[in-house]
Amino acid sequence: METEPTRETLSAFIDGELPPKEMERIAALLAERPDIGAWVRRQEALRADIKGAFSELMAAPQPARLVQAAKRTPISWRWHLGQFTAPRIWVPAGAALALGLVIGIALQPGSDFASRDGRMMAQGMLATALNDKLASDGYAGSGPRIGISFRSHDGRYCRTFDADAQSGLACRGDKGWAIALLVAHPQAESGGAYRMVGSEMPDTIRAAVSANIEGEPFDAGAERAARDRGWK
Amino acid sequence: MEETGAATVKHPDMNGSAEDIRGQMVQLLPRLRRFAAALTGSVADGDDLVQDTVERALKNLHQWEPGTRLDNWMFRIAKNRFIDTRRSHKRSGVIALEVPVDAPSVTGDGARAADARLMLADTLGALQNLPLEQREALVLVTIEGLSYRDAADFLQIPIGTLTSRIARAREALAPMAPEG
Repeated sequence: METEPTRETLSAFIDGELPPKEMERIAALLAERPDIGAWVRRQEALRADIKGAFSELMAAPQPARLVQAAKRTPISWRWHLGQFTAPRIWVPAGAALALGLVIGIALQPGSDFASRDGRMMAQGMLATALNDKLASDGYAGSGPRIGISFRSHDGRYCRTFDADAQSGLACRGDKGWAIALLVAHPQAESGGAYRMVGSEMPDTIRAAVSANIEGEPFDAGAERAARDRGWK
Repeated sequence: MEETGAATVKHPDMNGSAEDIRGQMVQLLPRLRRFAAALTGSVADGDDLVQDTVERALKNLHQWEPGTRLDNWMFRIAKNRFIDTRRSHKRSGVIALEVPVDAPSVTGDGARAADARLMLADTLGALQNLPLEQREALVLVTIEGLSYRDAADFLQIPIGTLTSRIARAREALAPMAPEG
C-alpha cells in the first residue's frame, strides 16, 4: 500500500525538492487522485502568481534615493584600512607616514591654509569645519567634510577631511589645527564640481591614519564629546 | 593646476574596489526591494528598509567577508533590521496597521498597471497574514528561488523545519489560490 503523501511532501513536490524517485511517485499519484491533483495544481498556480505579482516592481526604475544610498553612503574606515595591505605608493624611507609631512600646496591669501611659525595651519572654512563639524554632517553647510577623528600616538586629536580639491589630515595643537598631510585630488583641476565619492580616502591618508592612530577611531559619541570639549 | 603633490600619489586602484561594491549594490536593488516589500507588506516601507540596509551595509562593510555572497549578507541585514524595527515599534507603543498595503509605483499604463498594482497589493496583504517565520521561508523559496538547502542555511534552521514552514504557509494561503 502506498502511503498517503503529507502536505509537506506535496509542498516539497511543488518546489521540486523531493528525491527523484519520490518526485516520480507523486507525479504518478496525481493522475490517480483528482483531489490531490487539484490541490497541487492550485498551489502551483499560486506559486506562480506570488512571484508574478512582483514582476512590475522588478522592472520599474529604481528610486533615486536608493541608488544614491548605494553610491554615496560613506564606506566604513575599517574596510578602507583593510584594503590597505601594502603601500602602492613609493614613500621615502617611511618618513612620509610620520605626522608633519605636507605634500606640496600653493599658499594663497584667503585659502584654507596659512603658514604660521613655519607650520602650515588650517584657517578659514577648514578651521571651522575641523573645530565644529561632525563626520555625520557630511557636506552639510559649507566647507570640507570631516572623515574620521582619533587620538594620535602623541596624544593629539587628529581628523581627516575632504574638500573639493584635496583631502588631508590635521592634528590639533595649542595654536590650532596643524596640517599633517595634504593630498591633492587627481581630478581636482576639473573644477569645484568634482567630489570624491563617499569616503574613498586616498591611500596616503589611510596609511598616515594607520601609522599614527592610538586605539580606535572615535565613534559618533566620542567625536561629539571631543568636539564639545574644544579638542582639548 | 598641476596635480600638485599628487604627482607621486597614485589614485587608489579600482579593482574589487569600493566602486565595484557600490555597483553590485545598485544591481541588487530590485531584489532587495522585492524582499523588503514582502517582509514589510508595503513597497514604501520596503524601500525605507532597503535604504537603511544599503547604508548599514556600506558603513559596516568591513563585516562582510570578501569572497562570500554580498546578496546573502545584505538580505540578512535587511531581515535583522526589519525585526529590530518591529521590536522598537512595539516598545514605543506604535501599533503597526494590519496589512498596510499601499499602491506601488509601477510602470506601464492603464488597466495592466492597475491590475499589477492590485495583484501586488493582494499578494503583499496575503503574505502579511502569515507569521514572519512562514513568510520569510516562503518568500525565499518561491520568490527568490532559493533551494531548500540554501534557504535553510540562510535562515539558520534545519531543512525539515523549513519544509514544514513552507507547507504551513501554503495551507494558510490555500483560500486565495486560484480555482483549479
